[in-house]
Amino acid sequence: MKTSIFPLKPVAFAVLTALAALPAVAAADDLSQLRKTVETLQKQLQEVQKQLEEQQAQAKTEQPASRADVEQLQKQVSEANEWREPNTLVHLAGYADVGYEKTQGNNDDGSFTVGRFSPIFHFQYRDLVMLESELEFEVEDDGNTNTSLEYLTIDLFMNDYATLVAGKFLSPVGQFRQNLHPSWVNKMASAPPGFGHDGAAPVSDVGVQVRGGLPRMGGVRTNYALFVSNGPELSSEDGELEGIDAEGFNKDAEGNKVYGGRVGILPIPNLEIGLSGAWGEAAVSKIDGNEVDINDEGKRDYKVYDADFNYQLGSLGVRGEYVKSKVGSTSKGLAASGSANWTTWYTQAAYKFLPTKWEAVARYTDFDSAVDDRDVKQWALGINYIFTSNFIAKVNYELNDGKNNSAADDNRFLAQLAYGF
Amino acid sequence: MKHAKQSKLKIGLTLASLSLIAGMLPVPVQAFDYPAPGDFAQGAKEWADNCGRCHNIRGAKELRDDQWITTMFHMRLRAGLTGQEMRNILTFLQGSNNPSTGVIVKTSTATGSATSGLSGKDIYSQTCIACHGADGKGVLPGVPDFTRKDGRLSKPDATLLKHVTEGFQSPGSPMAMPPKGGNSSLTEGDLKNVIEYLHQEFGS
Repeated sequence: MKTSIFPLKPVAFAVLTALAALPAVAAADDLSQLRKTVETLQKQLQEVQKQLEEQQAQAKTEQPASRADVEQLQKQVSEANEWREPNTLVHLAGYADVGYEKTQGNNDDGSFTVGRFSPIFHFQYRDLVMLESELEFEVEDDGNTNTSLEYLTIDLFMNDYATLVAGKFLSPVGQFRQNLHPSWVNKMASAPPGFGHDGAAPVSDVGVQVRGGLPRMGGVRTNYALFVSNGPELSSEDGELEGIDAEGFNKDAEGNKVYGGRVGILPIPNLEIGLSGAWGEAAVSKIDGNEVDINDEGKRDYKVYDADFNYQLGSLGVRGEYVKSKVGSTSKGLAASGSANWTTWYTQAAYKFLPTKWEAVARYTDFDSAVDDRDVKQWALGINYIFTSNFIAKVNYELNDGKNNSAADDNRFLAQLAYGF
Repeated sequence: MKHAKQSKLKIGLTLASLSLIAGMLPVPVQAFDYPAPGDFAQGAKEWADNCGRCHNIRGAKELRDDQWITTMFHMRLRAGLTGQEMRNILTFLQGSNNPSTGVIVKTSTATGSATSGLSGKDIYSQTCIACHGADGKGVLPGVPDFTRKDGRLSKPDATLLKHVTEGFQSPGSPMAMPPKGGNSSLTEGDLKNVIEYLHQEFGS
């Protein structure tokens, strides 16, 4: 603390003023009185001086004590346990994309697009349980915003090899839907035909699954997923099966569960081969766009078979998947009809030109739908610029070979910015 | 056909706001007593073997330690990892994120020119091989090829020692090599032995 001589100034000023006020010729009594006054003022001055010295001494002893207090306080704050090891963690992840697309031969002048904004919430209690949920916001052509719950699961980590997953989950059938579809992961701006919300591969389901990794056997890694779920519903158009709605229904309307699973084998590092499938029953709930009582419709066999692979060798990544969905026939109900199949497969190669940030991608898809107008054979070629691991610019051109005069036959140019967080 | 309920933009904005609020929650954490620590070197290998297969590999410093916990539990399900594999990778990422607190390989931080008694080959096999590979050509995109005549080993030993000691990020590599390859127990003598081994095994 800084000291000051300012407290002495008023006293000294008073003494000088008193002296200056003395008459030029003073009587002896006056001199005696004056002497007493001066002595009194001297005493007062000495007392003030003493107090000042005491204050200065006290300030000197208090200064280091005050610093010690601050350091002690800082130490206590840094060691506070309130947030040091919280039992609950909250984390926001997700992805989004924006872009531009132009379809050839359809009087399309091209449009800027907003793809999807998909925030993913993680709430975790220690290493026991995690709640994870992905929302999906999508702007339609008419400007309305669609919202949907992509998945919502509570994951109970039972032991090192098994996790119980309950809720609405991405279908464990295949690889693309459950692992590769996010726009910052997908190396193309679009999903392969048949693997989107349009076709052969199931998207999501509501039920329970057990999944995890198994102990290595001779250097071979294995993972698995087994599930039971409400299963899909079907739609019919013009008297024929038109689509499989496999996006997770909150009610098992036709009353038969679907069972399925996937086994992934990694014989060598960076190569995964998967086999998966699902079996159950399904029924038509929508005819020509109108909802109908599913209990009035006949139950049909529902089967899905899938095989996938994914291999990374340095800068080269190769992946592919085959999926076939089969729906049986029925003679009951308004939508009584024969069986129908949806089959699609794709294979893709991507190569990073390191140390640059450029990447080239090529993909071939063959989608055979139960609706002939949706059949397509597609070559998709793309160039990516990888700004960062989670921010990618893509430019694609799709060469589509579909039924003449169908929308699936038009070639398409796409550009996309995708960001994962 | 996609099954999604049409809703008003207001609902979407509300949910989006919730997302942002959740993302901005402060988590001033420094350390966790869960999950149990894994094996750093094994985690480096499993990270190299698994993550880049589906997506571009994300560097350790892209997320905080607490964010890596939730992210790795999420990825345990996605990638079909065992609990131990997840803990190993988490230990590697947290250790690379903050070498002074996260490296679990050994507890002490060693200095000086004395060696731990391990040969350069032993240290390479235990610490370096996960990313650089048994053949020295690198198992990850961006990891240098030691066998190239004009490659990394053409640099002066003093430069190599500095890079190994302090850590180094090669152009195009998804993340930096952590100081001492993540093994803080290695001495300067150990690192010199490793560099000598690199020259003998992969140099021209």
